[in-house]
Amino acid sequence: MTASIDINKVTKQFGSLTVLDELSLSIPANEFVVFLGPSGCGKSTLLRMIAGLESVDAGEILINGERIDNQPPGQRGVAMVFQSYALYPHMTVRDNMAFGLKNISVERSVIDARIAEAARMLEIGHLLDRKPGQLSGGQRQRVAIGRAVVKEPKAFLFDEPLSNLDAALRTRTRIELAQLHQRLKSTMIFVTHDQIEAMTLADRIVVMNNRKIEQIGAPMEIYNRPATRFVAGFVGAPAMNFLPVKIRAEGGLVVAESGAGLRIATAIAAEGLPGGDYELGIRSEHVRITQPAPDAAEGIVDVLERLGERTLVYVRLGDGHQIVGSDSGDSRVAVGDRVGLAFEGAKAHLFEAAGRAWHGQEGGHG
Amino acid sequence: MASHSAEIRGRSFGDRLLFGLVILLALAMAGPVLYVIALSLKDNKELMVDPHSVFHMPYTIKNYIDTIGTSNVFSWVLNSFIVAGGLTVLTLILSSLAGYGFARLNFPGRDALFVIVLLGLAVPEQAVLIARHQIFSWLGLHNTYPGLILPGLSSAFGVFLMTQYFRAIPKELDEAAILDNASRFRVFWKVLLPLTVPAQATLGIFTFLGAWNDYFWPLISATKKEMFTLTVGIASTQQNFAQSQGIGFLMAQAVFAGAPILIIYLFFQKYIVTAVSGAAVR
Repeated sequence: MTASIDINKVTKQFGSLTVLDELSLSIPANEFVVFLGPSGCGKSTLLRMIAGLESVDAGEILINGERIDNQPPGQRGVAMVFQSYALYPHMTVRDNMAFGLKNISVERSVIDARIAEAARMLEIGHLLDRKPGQLSGGQRQRVAIGRAVVKEPKAFLFDEPLSNLDAALRTRTRIELAQLHQRLKSTMIFVTHDQIEAMTLADRIVVMNNRKIEQIGAPMEIYNRPATRFVAGFVGAPAMNFLPVKIRAEGGLVVAESGAGLRIATAIAAEGLPGGDYELGIRSEHVRITQPAPDAAEGIVDVLERLGERTLVYVRLGDGHQIVGSDSGDSRVAVGDRVGLAFEGAKAHLFEAAGRAWHGQEGGHG
Repeated sequence: MASHSAEIRGRSFGDRLLFGLVILLALAMAGPVLYVIALSLKDNKELMVDPHSVFHMPYTIKNYIDTIGTSNVFSWVLNSFIVAGGLTVLTLILSSLAGYGFARLNFPGRDALFVIVLLGLAVPEQAVLIARHQIFSWLGLHNTYPGLILPGLSSAFGVFLMTQYFRAIPKELDEAAILDNASRFRVFWKVLLPLTVPAQATLGIFTFLGAWNDYFWPLISATKKEMFTLTVGIASTQQNFAQSQGIGFLMAQAVFAGAPILIIYLFFQKYIVTAVSGAAVR
């Protein structure tokens, strides 16, 4: 079973504090959507509003075209996996999974069949008679997912379900969640502040910040064409480099010049760009470390981060700004070295003071 | 090496000292109990002639036979069980419901009401005794089981304990159950209440022991012999029959009175230790 979800101009207030402000979003059936944003941006609140655990102050939420924000949580046909798993500690795994079905008087044989199927799928068959206290974090996580699966919901809601797992288990569970989505073909909404989870799991990412949606798009679209400076800075590790620049047109394209004597020819169309202050944004993989040369930008190496397949080089420019560039995994650069920087200007972005982004290639703004 | 063995010797001497102290304390605790049991197994006339005869043979179970045959101790034990048991069950029900309400429900004046309940902890029983006696008199509740049970039901401690315990249970459990289509009562009954068993055990044990050992209110409310609880009954025996029937008989009744609580203690030892150490409250 699967369903589309429509959120129309939804507003949420806690006292005088507005947490979500006239937010709208459409999620087609079968899609894996990730709500990504920093703590306090309202992403969990939005998820809880879909689940029915928070009231909707204005606007409406529809599942398969039917308004559900006035229905009790249990009747919305959604299942939620909590960050803390929220398994019932005094019940066995089997009873945890059966509880929701017993409450709606599903036949015992049907309950048993669904539990057996979910247990097989999640490889928790041998845990069915144990209690949550006897399980590891990863096993609890699977049981929590199993409890959602047996309900055969219209949509799955995940509230930062991986944040309590260690790094290795998180990676494995992430892959299993992706496989689960492919197998169930169900609508899934996943809340996280971890951009790697968002990038790896999502069909579409909804980047949220400060009560509103900053951008909705496929992971690589968000990464390559961030709609705002916030998205550009939030998505990607290390964060995008930002430099305050003056711009001028050359051959119809923007050339950006910074205080440190940098001159970067971009692929951004100069036509239609409003006047004012700009920041140039460029990702570390588009800044190569080179030998110092008379006509190239250069700086002093502050820090090195060796990631194995490449080395991140933090370079201090003459005007005090820091730029993160990339070098090969076996880079011979050392802290304190003077190095040159080669910018791939075609991959650079411009951000105006209000945060709006301008990209190269097709031009225009996101 | 030498210092290492000295350390072991020092530690074992410390252990021995501690062990000796524990034995002394245990004897100090057990001594009076053993003395009571020994007295209950002696002939009353022999005790009158020679009080030290308690330490040597002959012993007899005549006092127990007399207790079973002649005294009201069985009906007093039954009364105590009804009062302490009834009070415990009702206190657990009321405190759990009130605790859930204070911890989980939003209603106007909730916090103010909770403060008022807590203030109840500071009101001594003696302060309300006369008023309560008068009201119970008007209602005809003296010399009845409700008359003995009702005053204990206003347990500020129980409400406080259960409220704190319910508050410590993560709200995600309620939310998961609500999403599992459980009604509010089912969330309370099937999900939250079973998790409060340690607190229920603590509260139940304290309530039962308190009610079993209570002397003050039963002395005032139960004036008819057939409504005496054990504490009041035994005290009345001491006043009226100690001289005529003897100390051995009195002690046999005391053993009868203490036996049920001892059995309960043996069964619930783990919970009592937890309750007293406060570890039950997360």
